[in-house]
Amino acid sequence: MIQLRSITKKYKNSYALKNVNLDILSGEFVFVTGASGAGKSTLMKLLYKEEIPTSGTVMIGGINIANLPSEKVPNLRRCMGIVFQDYKLLQNQSVYDNVAYVIRTLGISTKEINARVLGALKVVGLSDKIKAKPTELSGGEQQRVSIARAIVNGPPLLIADEPTGNLDPKNSMEVMQILDQINQRGITVIVSTHDSAMVDYFRKRVITLEGGEVVRDIQAGTYEQ
Amino acid sequence: MSSSKQNIKKKVKQHIPKDWLTELRIVYRITMETFNDIKRTGIVNIVIITTMAAILTIFGALFRTGLTVSSFAHELGSVLEISVYLKQNADPRDASQQINRLEHVQRVKIIPKESSWKDLKREIDIPDIENPLPDTLHVKVDKAENINSVFANIKKVHGVADMNYAAELAKKIQFLNQVVNTTTVFVVIIVAILTITIINNTIQLVIQSRKEEIEIMRLMGVSNWYIKIPLIMQGALYGFLGATFALIPLNFVENTLNNVHKFFLIPSPLFAGNIVVTTMFFLGILFGAGGSFLSIKKHLQV
Repeated sequence: MIQLRSITKKYKNSYALKNVNLDILSGEFVFVTGASGAGKSTLMKLLYKEEIPTSGTVMIGGINIANLPSEKVPNLRRCMGIVFQDYKLLQNQSVYDNVAYVIRTLGISTKEINARVLGALKVVGLSDKIKAKPTELSGGEQQRVSIARAIVNGPPLLIADEPTGNLDPKNSMEVMQILDQINQRGITVIVSTHDSAMVDYFRKRVITLEGGEVVRDIQAGTYEQ
Repeated sequence: MSSSKQNIKKKVKQHIPKDWLTELRIVYRITMETFNDIKRTGIVNIVIITTMAAILTIFGALFRTGLTVSSFAHELGSVLEISVYLKQNADPRDASQQINRLEHVQRVKIIPKESSWKDLKREIDIPDIENPLPDTLHVKVDKAENINSVFANIKKVHGVADMNYAAELAKKIQFLNQVVNTTTVFVVIIVAILTITIINNTIQLVIQSRKEEIEIMRLMGVSNWYIKIPLIMQGALYGFLGATFALIPLNFVENTLNNVHKFFLIPSPLFAGNIVVTTMFFLGILFGAGGSFLSIKKHLQV
């Protein structure tokens, strides 16, 4: 599903990524780990074209998104779900409206929107909070809203950049379990994290970055080895 | 059905969206976004719309006054005539026909020398001498600005001895027309600069206040045009509302100018009010949307 070939990303005088080659298959659950500044976020941003590689190709579903024209980027992003460390929720809108926001722009009927939003909120266990504003929710709940928003359009790929970075261990576990459930539905899930406990608990494929290079790629791995 | 008809049907079908209901929902959502943006702008809306209304009122009033001045100038110009005095042996009918064929000549009236002499004798006490006056032609020109060229061409006509016209008045009318035209262009430029600047700054503020939200929309895959169009519509709506409120003072200007026309017995220009209102709305919406567009181009990176 995803192929990265000879990816290098350079910022002025420093390399964020150096000659990265990766293959991620459809339906996989992948942890991208590494210390701060290892290049995890840059790698994730390349996948949703927030960054463009200095050299190399980023193929998603057979399309080199490095060459994707800017007007097509929204289409690409609608084909994937993105979850951020800081949730990126619209603070003045309800949980329902946050989840429904993007699909409303597609001209989908209210009935269809309603079904999709309630379905996504059921997956993350927030069916009873549809009218709440993000400020009324805990960090874990806000991240679950963010996940619901990411899956509401039924994407084949979900990218989560440090989804547990702002959460306590209990909430982190809940969020990771939801991501695991989503993966079990056949959605490819890529999670960047430095939460060693989660990586060790779930025993998924682990790709470790160090100084912008892939230093480890292990199936059913742990954080350290 | 002929092949040409089938082709037309095919072309029409291409222009109809596959799912018009989806398109309609998107239009509805964009409209709602526009109103949400306006709602968020709060009290500033009143300031912007009032300022737009004031600018458009000044424009509308000047434009309408310009039309009145033009109609007065036209009316004055229409009474301008060239008096052509013929040589004693010249045939007035022949000269009249020659002048009638000249460009910009509307009509030629022959005043026989006997008639002129009779009139003169009626006005002043003249001893009974032989009529010294020549046959005269009164030449009417289509527009005041063409009087000079017609004057020059009549000079070349056989049998013409002398002629004159109110040259100073013609010049003044021409000057007045030029002033009105230049002022209108100048006012349109000022209106454009002012409205575009106001809308530009307002939309910049809207973009700044919604920076985080726009960033989220962008990251979630909301189309660029879906983010941009409500902002352009907001600018256009300010122009529209400004023009709507400007109608109130303009109605007063319209009535006053109509009274002026009635007083001088000069007909009001045809559809003057409609022309002014249509132009005002057109420019308000155009410059409102234009100002918004420029602001988006400069401040919105999507």
